[in-house]
Amino acid sequence: MNTLETYLVVAAVLFCLGLLGVLQRRNLIGILISIELMLNGANINFMAFNRFLAPEPAVGQIIALFVMGLAAAEAAIGLSIILALFRRLHSINIERAQRLRG
Amino acid sequence: MSFPGVENLAQMAFWVTLGFTLTGAFIAVFPRNILYNVLGLSLCLAGIGGIYLCLGSFFIALMQWLIYIGAITIAIVFAIMLSRPLYTAVPERKVPKVALATAAGAVFLVAVLGVIFKTNWKPAVERGKDWSVAAIGHLLLTRYDLVFEVISLVLLVAIIGAIVTAGYSRRLS
Amino acid sequence: MAWIFKDSVLLAAALATCLPFFSMAIILLFTRKNPRLSCTISISAVTVSLGCALYLLRTLWDARVPLEYRVSWLAADNLVVPYGYLLDPLSLLMLTIVAVISFLVQVYSVGYMAGDPGYSRYYAFQSLFAWAMMSMVVAPSMLQLFIFWELVGLASYFLIGFYYEKWSASQAGKKAFVMTRLGDVGFFLGLIILFLGYGNLGITDINEAARANAISPYLASIAAFLIFCGVVGKSAQFPLITWLPDAMEGPTPVSALLHSATMVAAGVYMFSRIFPFFAVSPDAMSVALAVGTVTMLLASTMAMATYDLKQVWAYSTVSQLGFMVMALGAGGYFAGVFHLTTHAGFKALLFLCSGIFIHEYHTNDMRIIGRRGGRKRGIPMVCMTVGALALSGVFPMAGFFSKEAILGVLAGHPNKIWLVAGLLGALMTAYYSFRLIFFLLFPKGGVEPPSHGPNSHGHEPHEEEHRGHIFWTMAWPVMILAGVTLVLGFCQSSLESFLMGAGTHGAVPAAHDAAGEHGAHGAGHYVLLAAAVGLALAGIAWAWVEFGRKKASREGFLARLPRTRELFGRRWYMDDFFRKFLDRVVYAGFTSLFTRNDRRVIDGAIDGICAGTVGGGRLFSFLQSGMLQYNLLLMITAVGIVVLLFLL
Repeated sequence: MNTLETYLVVAAVLFCLGLLGVLQRRNLIGILISIELMLNGANINFMAFNRFLAPEPAVGQIIALFVMGLAAAEAAIGLSIILALFRRLHSINIERAQRLRG
Repeated sequence: MSFPGVENLAQMAFWVTLGFTLTGAFIAVFPRNILYNVLGLSLCLAGIGGIYLCLGSFFIALMQWLIYIGAITIAIVFAIMLSRPLYTAVPERKVPKVALATAAGAVFLVAVLGVIFKTNWKPAVERGKDWSVAAIGHLLLTRYDLVFEVISLVLLVAIIGAIVTAGYSRRLS
Repeated sequence: MAWIFKDSVLLAAALATCLPFFSMAIILLFTRKNPRLSCTISISAVTVSLGCALYLLRTLWDARVPLEYRVSWLAADNLVVPYGYLLDPLSLLMLTIVAVISFLVQVYSVGYMAGDPGYSRYYAFQSLFAWAMMSMVVAPSMLQLFIFWELVGLASYFLIGFYYEKWSASQAGKKAFVMTRLGDVGFFLGLIILFLGYGNLGITDINEAARANAISPYLASIAAFLIFCGVVGKSAQFPLITWLPDAMEGPTPVSALLHSATMVAAGVYMFSRIFPFFAVSPDAMSVALAVGTVTMLLASTMAMATYDLKQVWAYSTVSQLGFMVMALGAGGYFAGVFHLTTHAGFKALLFLCSGIFIHEYHTNDMRIIGRRGGRKRGIPMVCMTVGALALSGVFPMAGFFSKEAILGVLAGHPNKIWLVAGLLGALMTAYYSFRLIFFLLFPKGGVEPPSHGPNSHGHEPHEEEHRGHIFWTMAWPVMILAGVTLVLGFCQSSLESFLMGAGTHGAVPAAHDAAGEHGAHGAGHYVLLAAAVGLALAGIAWAWVEFGRKKASREGFLARLPRTRELFGRRWYMDDFFRKFLDRVVYAGFTSLFTRNDRRVIDGAIDGICAGTVGGGRLFSFLQSGMLQYNLLLMITAVGIVVLLFLL
């Protein structure tokens, strides 16, 4: 069962689980975790295409590397935003962050 | 190395990895305790590393373990430690929200699965065979050097931004 | 020469029909404040109409072929609606009747309506009626006939409700309009079916096609039955009888003109107009015969139980119209039309005489008029007696000849029950007419002395002025009509030859002619004659016994049958039935259904849309609430759906 579709399905499932978490969780950090899951799902997609379809195997790996790098950067910024929001609201419940004042 | 059982072993290893990944993902999303989620995330990420291994790239698997589990997960744990736990004041789970989210997720999943199975995936005509790390390095410094530099810039900006954001709010609170 | 001949005929026809319209327009627009001027305009218009009608009658007396003028009024693909004049013997005769009686009534009204604040309005509506009736009579196409038929109904509504401040009068006007309209629904449906089936609504075309058997009997039956509904409505046949007695709320000249001589005769006129078409369908003719008989008998019974002067003549009108419908239904074209003519004369006479009495004594009750000395007024009393004799069918009045004609037609019908009904009707007619006459001539308890009560004191100084021209404007038309009634009967044969024509352009199929008209000649004819005259005299004698003798109780046989009297007096509970029907079926059923539909379905739908919009707005307002997860949810769902749509 080492076909392309398997890996693509796994990636889709991971992405959708991450999506579910983003849409439904109230904990900000939980949302961040779910975002990480989504990014990983996308990454698996790239690697799978690289393995089964791509002309040059190195290029797919480079893309995966860069996605990981970006994920790291985004996690860092996300965490600092959560920190800042926590200091303001004294809570990491996203439903507290509803006031749209600028 | 062409033992008759090797193929089966490889297959079983693949399925076990897959199992770890999906279990980890479920644990990362559904339980309400944030620590469970983080641990599930680590399990999932580890499994994904294993998947990269199955997909032929030892380097990327290593990077996955290093970057995600080694750095990002730790950072998240730090953030958890620095914040008030949510379970001291957890409001009731809102059923409509959950139901709508599940529905949206299901719709999206069905859409993506549809795309996966309906597309005619055609491999490229000429496929290279160079899976070495040296090839990656070579490409990074010649063809994709711009991208390399830009991502360095991105990481720099991200760090500076994170520091500034965290710093400002400290002054305000 | 022929061109000028035609031209003057057209001119006469156009003047006759259109002048009253202009008179109405002028009165309504300009001269409402000036009663005398309005009256002058209206009477001059109708005089010119009368002159034109008489001229047409004289000129076209010997015409073999009907004369038709048409102008294309509306034209669609293959449908052309004409406006014009059809001048054949029947329409000329009716035109003359209408013109003569309109003229006499308008002259009479000068005296009767003097001093009324709505004088100009009255003459405007009289002109409206004259225009509509005359245009209807000469219509060449059923559609024009229908349009003016409705206009005649409108004029009737205006004139019945003339004293509109009185509740009963406005109700009566409404009732008349609605009930005739009900019949007109059937009429219009019949016209539609006829048009769809046959394609043409021209009267001569329909009649010729009927004579040539070019119309399928099935179509003819349905269309004829529905068109007969119009006759039922307009001529107050069963079951739409009750509007006519109530229509007596209008001024008496109006009753004389509309509701005895002309408007209600329009139904009978229309029947005889397309008589060949009706004759194609024996079923419709049988229905007409039955309806006419029932109407005649019912109305005669109702007339026996009422003390109101005008109501007796109103019921009598209904009964006589039923008699005419019977005649036409049995195939007697000439008999029906002749009775129409004579009835117009003597019924108008009776109403106008009653009007003189009512105007004098300000009451409709025959007992009070009798007691106050009604019989002392010579001219109205004599003329009323002449009219009653004509109504009962006594020689030498006109009514005798026309009744004989009808009974002859009925005798020729295979089923003798109709003849028996006709004879019974003649008996009852004589009874109730002379009951009224004897109430006036020989009141119970004798005549009261004239200076009795407060009324007469006020009257004394006015009496002499009244006596002057007002009385004579009312008296002259009455005397002219009485003279006509005496003489008209002897014109029967000339009228017959005029109407029936000679040769192929006679108005009636030859078969019906032979069977219907002359079937009872010979010995049977004299037996019938004797029977009819005998019954009429018997009716008069019966009324004499009950009301005329000095020792009579003046109660009538009905006093001994209180329930029967109740039945007759309440119009066989028809009004009650209509009231209950309206309340239970129409109001409680249909109206409430429509009201509920209006409120719940239509209003509810609109309210539902509003509520839906507001609710929808409230539902989507959470997107603007700062809850990012919902926004994200919507985005993902949208992307998913778009992808699915592309996949499928």
